[in-house]
Amino acid sequence: MARSSGTYSRVIAWLKILLPLIALGLLSTVFLLSTEIDPGADLPFSNAEMADRASSQQVTAPYFSGATSSGALLTITAESARPDPEEAGRAFASSVIARMKMKDESQIMLNAHSATFSDLDDTAILSGEVLIESSTGYVMTTQELSASLSRIEAESAGPVEATGPAGTLNAGRMRIETIENGEDVRLLFTDGVKLVYDPQN
Amino acid sequence: QGANVAFGASRDSSGPVEVTADNLSVNQSDGTALYTGNVVIGQGDMRLAAPRVLVVFAEDNSKIERLEATGGVTLVSGEDAAEAERADYDIDGGTIDMAGNVLLTQGPSAVTSERMRVDLDAGTAQMSGRVKTILQNGDQ
Repeated sequence: MARSSGTYSRVIAWLKILLPLIALGLLSTVFLLSTEIDPGADLPFSNAEMADRASSQQVTAPYFSGATSSGALLTITAESARPDPEEAGRAFASSVIARMKMKDESQIMLNAHSATFSDLDDTAILSGEVLIESSTGYVMTTQELSASLSRIEAESAGPVEATGPAGTLNAGRMRIETIENGEDVRLLFTDGVKLVYDPQN
Repeated sequence: QGANVAFGASRDSSGPVEVTADNLSVNQSDGTALYTGNVVIGQGDMRLAAPRVLVVFAEDNSKIERLEATGGVTLVSGEDAAEAERADYDIDGGTIDMAGNVLLTQGPSAVTSERMRVDLDAGTAQMSGRVKTILQNGDQ
């Protein structure tokens, strides 16, 4: 059967050119005609906030932990913290939670609206509705409390209200301190203590 | 031999107990509480004063079992007064056990003994251990 004037091979030859071109065309639509996606558009930072964060070097959710010589663990977390622009070694933090875990598993938790940390005299001053909870069942509130960062020691600046196993009490001042033997920690209410214990509840 | 005397007025002793002191120290590991510095325990018309009072909790640490006052205790209830070296105040039971040369003064007369148990509810006191009564007669 004679070859029918080679139309078949001519068609194939044309297809060998047309088909790759069509493929290229399809491929280019993927890139050239695709919707405009700007990856940077939906990030939650506004330029103003970026400038502010850069200048104030704000840290979100900082976490500080340390161990004291007597083996107690101290961890402090906050919502945000930023260094004090005027004075080096000082930092401010907001909604701070500090947890002291003693070797005998007893715990003291401090909770405050704001805190000022100063590395120079290595204390943290917690202020604004400070809540102190101890594993012995005492819950205390005061306005301001200064706590040491390297030892289990804290002292309230003013009067303290507390409720606990011994009853509800208010005292002129409250100290958390390590007893001489360096092991036991105690809560010391001083400057006059007034307590009411109701045998009923 | 023991002597029963009336002590203070009888009344219900389940009312709230008030304690005022200079300091209260709570040990973080075992939860013991110690009042120091002119401690005054008040309940109803009873006042117990001592320089040092230790709070002893019940087993489950939720209730106070008793208050141990030491270092020279004075107890006043109504117009009766008693002094001793130490006193254990059982809050639920409403009783105070005083020990160590107890001196009870009731109006002009005074009674001394080794130990005295005061029942706050009944308003009575039971003195025991070498009880001696000193009656003031005449009107000095």
